[in-house]
Amino acid sequence: MLVPLAQNVVSGILVGALYGLAAVGLSLTFGVTKFLNVAHGELLMLGGYASFWAFTTLGIDPFLTLPSTVVFMVLIGTLLYKLLFSRMVKLTEDVKVKNTMLIAFGLSLILQNVALRLWTADDRSITTSYSGVALSVLGVRLPVVRLASLVVAFVCLMALHLFLQRTYTGKAIRATVEDWAAATLVGIDIHRVYLESFILGALLAGVAGALVSVGYSIVPTMGLEWTLIALIVMVLGGLGSIMGTFVGGIILGVTQSVTSYFAGGTYREVVGLLIFLLVLVFRPQGLFGTKQG
Amino acid sequence: MSTKAVAPLAFLVALALLAAFPQVVRAGNIVNLGCLVLLYIALASSWNILGGYTGQTNLGHAAFFGLGTLATRLLWLSGKPLWLSLLASGGLAVAFALLIGLPAFRLRGAYFAIGTLALAQILYLTVGNVLPMLSALPTEVLATYQLAPRYYLFLGVAALAVATSYLLANSRLGLGMMAVREEEDAAESLGVSALKHKLVALTASAFLAGLAGGSFAYYHVGYYPQLPFSPVWTFDTVMIAYIGGTGTIVGPIVGAAFFVIVKEYLALKLVDLHLIVFGILFIIVVLFLPGGLADVWTRLQQALAGRPKKLAVAAARHGAASDRPGE
Amino acid sequence: MLEIEGVDAFYGDLQALWAISLHVDEGELVALIGPNGAGKTTTLHVISGLLPPRSGSIRFRDRDLTRERPDRIVAMGISQVPEGGRVFTGMSVLENLELGAFLPAARRCKAESLKRVFSIFPRLEERKNQRAGTLSGGERQMLAIARALMSRPTLLLLDEPSFGLAPLLVEQMFAMITEINAQGVTILLVEQNVRAALELSHRAYVIENGRIVGEGSGTGLLSFESVRRAYLG
Repeated sequence: MLVPLAQNVVSGILVGALYGLAAVGLSLTFGVTKFLNVAHGELLMLGGYASFWAFTTLGIDPFLTLPSTVVFMVLIGTLLYKLLFSRMVKLTEDVKVKNTMLIAFGLSLILQNVALRLWTADDRSITTSYSGVALSVLGVRLPVVRLASLVVAFVCLMALHLFLQRTYTGKAIRATVEDWAAATLVGIDIHRVYLESFILGALLAGVAGALVSVGYSIVPTMGLEWTLIALIVMVLGGLGSIMGTFVGGIILGVTQSVTSYFAGGTYREVVGLLIFLLVLVFRPQGLFGTKQG
Repeated sequence: MSTKAVAPLAFLVALALLAAFPQVVRAGNIVNLGCLVLLYIALASSWNILGGYTGQTNLGHAAFFGLGTLATRLLWLSGKPLWLSLLASGGLAVAFALLIGLPAFRLRGAYFAIGTLALAQILYLTVGNVLPMLSALPTEVLATYQLAPRYYLFLGVAALAVATSYLLANSRLGLGMMAVREEEDAAESLGVSALKHKLVALTASAFLAGLAGGSFAYYHVGYYPQLPFSPVWTFDTVMIAYIGGTGTIVGPIVGAAFFVIVKEYLALKLVDLHLIVFGILFIIVVLFLPGGLADVWTRLQQALAGRPKKLAVAAARHGAASDRPGE
Repeated sequence: MLEIEGVDAFYGDLQALWAISLHVDEGELVALIGPNGAGKTTTLHVISGLLPPRSGSIRFRDRDLTRERPDRIVAMGISQVPEGGRVFTGMSVLENLELGAFLPAARRCKAESLKRVFSIFPRLEERKNQRAGTLSGGERQMLAIARALMSRPTLLLLDEPSFGLAPLLVEQMFAMITEINAQGVTILLVEQNVRAALELSHRAYVIENGRIVGEGSGTGLLSFESVRRAYLG
């Protein structure tokens, strides 16, 4: 009984890392710009399909195409920001959050159905030569693809942390979150910071999507599920803490797995949504949220 | 004729015309389309009471609709009279609304929206687990199935929803709701209880959506019980309300008709293209046409009449820029 | 150097400034004094681009910056130390200063600017790796001014730099401000401490209820009945 449970916990951690990665992107964008991009899941989906396309058409390994997926997402992010969201910058916060949510909702419908036309409603997955390989530790099976994804996710978040701490652009972003007006008074272009944050969010979503496409599967309608996951983890982890959000993702992953083990697979999503509601109503700052953001 | 009398008169005329519709048009599929339009009018009008007039974006509307279908399907198919089943549908939806209302209204703005979405998802997934079997009308009911009664039921519910919206909008309660929508804190300080108005709007919205659900259960031959709880119903409803024009009486009506007709037309050509079109239209409305089609119509009327009128209300409602940037 | 002509400013529908006109010449230290809520901060916000004026014009060295973005105005050479300083408390002293030199031109001279700023405010060099949130009120104010200097401004706007500081620190603060002005930075100083403001400045404007009601040199303004009665001890 212990080994299957341990297997479940490990599976939960592995998928939870991707939950965390997806959530950090949304959290960063929302924390800086207060744009509630509920099409985040669709951006993740796009990253997954970009990766899938590169693999099936060009035969390149999905881990190797991560950089090109990143470039793709930067372009998409820039396009969407300039086209749709840039007009929202000047609004008051309440209106900004609500209107961007509505716009993102419309966007999610468009992206979902464009993907449906291009790739049909079938589940897709990238199967590489090493997809079936797994390590075995104390009876627990660790698929190398998912292990590698965990490492990639962690590395990405570390890179993000360093970016925010060490680079001028990163510091400008942090300054903007802390005090918008003071930031502009030192010459920081807020519009530029918003654009950069949005791109970062899209980029992280895309990477997460690429990892999902190789470790799990993708389908055009996956957007809503992943947007909800990102929202749940964002709220659970709390704004302002990358590591906190990552841990939140792991917590959700493990909770889902364990629930599925004891109560059957059909309730995995429900437990996440319940946690979400409880946190929203009773502890809105999340587990690790900082005062800012 | 006073302007006050125009609306109720137009309503009665429209009602009469719509009632005559199935008698005149015999083609089943057209009457069916009519049923769909009326259903969406009911859904959008009911959503509009909370979402449009009171400004609380409820993304869990499908929950009320779904609960309505459950109650009627269960009661009616077990032999209870239809009117009782429908009443139970409305009642069940209201009971649920009141249960979640108080905690839900602790959340504001977009947090309320995603909170209600999560709630509805929970119901959707749970119903899918608990009632996975198809719900089909038994043969003896199928044998005597007629579309016309279903049409009239949808018409009744739609009419009730529109009338309720109208009466509320023109009442003191309605003024309070709109005050809550515009400036909740300011309204509170003037003695308008935001919570009370939100709850009233929620109750009316839920009851009407529940009735719509009941009508659906009476109408649909076979469906999975999970289906009416699907977020797609909420999203379609919200899109209709926005494209038609939130916070207006006419908006949901125009939006529903537009939605069903365009969907029918596009579905004939390419399967899901209508959703891309609606997605784009929706974005355009949010960005540029805050009053939706209803507003476009009003502006056209004024342009033709040559009377410039301040449309500050519609613009202000949907977020005119603040003079304090970034606040 | 700075010419403000007939500026009206609104917060929403509420008018805050009426036909504000003033000028600051190169090298001057000009004070803007007035009671609370008179519109002093609003005037600075308008100059810095945080609040676009409804009418009127603002010219700086013959360039029109009336509706410019705040970050572009910094690039033109105007830096503001807002009320309360508003340092980035989550970042270190050094990071705050580095952000002060955010603009490309300033970034290039960062090392030199840091040296200069540390020579005026040696206390900041001692604390350079400390989180700004752990500094005392006076040190934060110093940091805020230092941060503004990092962009090498030609015009420095100071919004109540002495507010909330202990008297001894106030003295030091004003000494530093005089020093900065002596080093060639033109200053527009908003102050509630009227006596000090009038002593420090070459000229001063009096603002009341959103309107400029008087102008004159330091001691000359003491003859202003309202200035004398309302603000002096």
